[in-house]
Amino acid sequence: MKIVPEDTALKTARILAVDDEAANLSLVERAFRREGFGTVVTFLNGHDALVDFAASTPDLVLLDLMMPGVDGYELLESFRRLTPATEYLPILVLTADSTMNARLRALSLGANDLLLKPYDVGELLMRSWVLLDTRRRFLTVRG
Amino acid sequence: MIGSGAGRAWADLGLGAKGLIVVALPLAILLSGIGALHLSGRAEAEAEARVRLTFAIQRDIHEVHALLAEAASGVRGYRLTGRRAFLEPYVKAEALLPQTLDRLRRTAQDPEIRQRLRRVDALVIQKRDGLAQLAAMPGAGTAAGIEAAEVANALVANKAVLDALRAEIDAMQRRERELLEQRQDQADSERRRTWTLTAVMAGIGLLGGLAAAQLLFTGIVRRVRGLERDAERLERGEPLTLADEAQDEIGRLARRLGQASDLLRSREAALREGEERYRRVIEGVRDYGIFALDIDGNVVSWNTGAERIKGWSADEILGRHFSTFYPPEAREETPARLLDTARREGRVEDEGWRVRRDGGRFWANVVITALHDEAGTLTGFSKVTRDVTERRLAEEALGHARAEAERASRAKSEFLSRMSHELRTPLTAILGFNQLLGMDREMLSEDQRHAVDQIAKAGGHLLAMIEEVLDIARIEAGGHALTLDLIEIDPLIEDVHDLIAPQVQAAGVEVRRSGDAAVRATADRRATIQILLNLVSNGLKYGSAGGVITLNVVDDRDGVRIEVIDEGSGVPPAMVDRLFTPFDRLDAERWSGVEGSGLGLALSRGLAQAQGGDLIYRARSDRPGAIFVLSLSAPQPSRQGVSP
Repeated sequence: MKIVPEDTALKTARILAVDDEAANLSLVERAFRREGFGTVVTFLNGHDALVDFAASTPDLVLLDLMMPGVDGYELLESFRRLTPATEYLPILVLTADSTMNARLRALSLGANDLLLKPYDVGELLMRSWVLLDTRRRFLTVRG
Repeated sequence: MIGSGAGRAWADLGLGAKGLIVVALPLAILLSGIGALHLSGRAEAEAEARVRLTFAIQRDIHEVHALLAEAASGVRGYRLTGRRAFLEPYVKAEALLPQTLDRLRRTAQDPEIRQRLRRVDALVIQKRDGLAQLAAMPGAGTAAGIEAAEVANALVANKAVLDALRAEIDAMQRRERELLEQRQDQADSERRRTWTLTAVMAGIGLLGGLAAAQLLFTGIVRRVRGLERDAERLERGEPLTLADEAQDEIGRLARRLGQASDLLRSREAALREGEERYRRVIEGVRDYGIFALDIDGNVVSWNTGAERIKGWSADEILGRHFSTFYPPEAREETPARLLDTARREGRVEDEGWRVRRDGGRFWANVVITALHDEAGTLTGFSKVTRDVTERRLAEEALGHARAEAERASRAKSEFLSRMSHELRTPLTAILGFNQLLGMDREMLSEDQRHAVDQIAKAGGHLLAMIEEVLDIARIEAGGHALTLDLIEIDPLIEDVHDLIAPQVQAAGVEVRRSGDAAVRATADRRATIQILLNLVSNGLKYGSAGGVITLNVVDDRDGVRIEVIDEGSGVPPAMVDRLFTPFDRLDAERWSGVEGSGLGLALSRGLAQAQGGDLIYRARSDRPGAIFVLSLSAPQPSRQGVSP
C-alpha cells in the first residue's frame, strides 16, 4: 500500500539527503524507494553535500541540523546563497532538536518545512511529496 | 560765622535765597554808598554856593560904597566948578544904586547883614537926598555968602551920612568876611566828609564783597566740595563723612547720598555674604570637583572636591589649562572638542579616563557648562567632575556577570538541544524502520507483526518519556517560554474536555464541571491546558472505571483554583511526599497496575510554578479519592512575557 498518490512525474525527482547518522540516511532511502518516487542522493557530511549541490541542483533537500563540521544551519545559508531568488528549491529540515530556538532559527534561515525526529515515515513522505509537487508546478509555470 | 544760630539759619536757607543774598549784599552796600556820596556832594555844593553868594554880597556892598563915594565926589566937583560933567558919577550912581541895593536885599540871608542893610538903605536915601540938594543948588561956581553957608551945611550933613554909611558898610564887610570864613570852613569840612565817606564806602563795599564771597564759599562751595569728596568715597566704597545736616538742597543731596551709600553698602554686604556663602558651599563640596575655566580653558577656580579627586592643590593648578587632567592620548583632541561643544550647545557631558596629579587614572563623569554675562558674551565655563570609577568598575563587573549569565544561558540551551538530539536521534531509525516494516504487514508472520507492534509501543512510550524529561529540563533551565495572558477558565476547560474526550469515552468515565463561572486568571494558556490534560489523564488512569472526574473552579480571596477530583482510591498518605518527585512512580504499577513515566506530576507542578501558580495534592474527605489543586495567579491588567 502506497502512502503518496501515484505520480509518474515525480519518479525522476532528485532528492538530496544530508545526515551524519548512516541509519537515518538509510531509512530515508528505503522509504522513498518503497514509495517509488524520486532519486535520493545521500551525504554523511555537510561539505560533500555542498559540493554536490553546487554541481547539480536537486529538486528537494532533506537536511539534518546537528552535524559535526559544516552543520545544517551553515548548509541552509549556503544553499540559499547559491539559489537564485527566482528559483523555488524546497528544503525540509529533519531534526532531533526539539527546542523552539532550533526550529525558529532553521525556518528563519530559509527552511520550507520542519519535521521533528523521530518522525512518522508517512508524514515525511507526504510532506516531501507536497514540496516536490509545488516545485513541479513552479517549474511548469516558469516554463 | 556770626553765631551758631545764625549760621544754622544761613545753612538752612534755600540755594535760591542764598544766591539772592550773596548777590544783593554788595549791591546794597554799593547803592547806599552812592546815595551817601550824592548827599555829601550836595551839601558840599550848597556850601560852595553860599561862599559864592557871600563874595557877591561883598562885591555889591563895595559897589554901593564906591557908587556913593564917586557920586559925592562928583557932586563936590560940580559945586566947586559948576561944570555939569562932574555930575556924571552922581547920575550913574542914581541909576545903579537901586538895582544893587535891591540885589543885596534879595541875596543877603544873614539877619545881621539884613538889619544893617535896612539901615544902609535909609542912609543911602538920606545921602541921595543930600546929594540931590547939593546938585540942585544954583550958582555953582559963583559962590555967594549965604549960599556958601548952605552948601557948607549940606556938605557937613552929607559927610555925616557918608560916615555913618561907611561905618555900616565896614561892619557889613566885616560880617561878610566872617561869614565867608565860616562858609569856606563849612565847604571844606563838607568836602573832607565826602572823601571820608567815599573811603568808608569803598571799604564797606570791599568787606561786603568779601562777606558775600565768604557766604558763597561756606554756604555752597565748601559743602559741594564735601559732597564731591563723599561721592569719591562712595565710588571707592569707603564710608561717607556725612557732615552736612542743613535743610537746603545741598544738605538734602548729602543725606540722599548718605542713604544711597547705606543702601549700596548693605546691598554690597548682602551680595558679598551671598557670594561668600556660595563660595563656601562650592569650596566645601567634597564629592564633586567644581571649578571654573576661562574662555581658553585655563583653570580660574578650584574647590575641595576637585583637589580631592584630582590631587592638585589650588595653588598648583590655577592658571593651568584643563587639558592637564586628560591622559596623553586624549589631551590633544578631547578638551578642545568638549569646549567647542559647550560653546555651541551651552553644555556638554562626557565620561572617560582622567589623570590625577600622581599619574593615577580615574573614570570621570564631567559636565561642562558655558557661562555668559548679561549681554550674552561667553565669559568662561564651569566644570563639574565626579569620580565614578567605582560605578564604572561595578558596571564592568555587572557586564561581566551579564555576559557570564548569557554564556551560561547559551550553554544551557545548547545542552538542551544536544540532549534532545542525542535522545531522539536513535529513536528515529528504530521507530522509522519499524514503521517501514509495519507498512508491509501482509508480508510479516504473526510473531513478526507482534514484534513490530511491541517495538512501536515501547518506542512510543520511550519518546513520550523523553518529551517529558526534556520539558522538565527546559523548565529547570528556564528555557520554557511562557506567555502570561488574561485567560477565561470556562472555554479553557471546554478545550481540555474536547481534547481528552476519546480517552474519557474509552474509560467510560464522566467528566463534570462545577464551581464558579466566568472566572479569569493570569496564566499561560498552553501550559494550563497541558497541566489539566495531565491531571484528567491521571484521573482516568487511577480513578475508578465508570466513576466521575470533577473539574471544580474556585474563585475566592485566596485566588483562582481548579480542582481535579477523582473517585479512585487516592494516594497512600505515606507516599504523598514523593508524589511530585520525577521518575518516582510510588510503586504505582504494583498497587494500581498502571504504566507511566513518573514525570507527569513533576512536569505539571513545574509548569504551574513557572506561571506563578502551584499544584498540590489533597485527599478527599467525603470519600476515597484524590484532589489535585491547580492554583493560578489572579487577573492582572497587563500582559507580560515571563521566562521563569
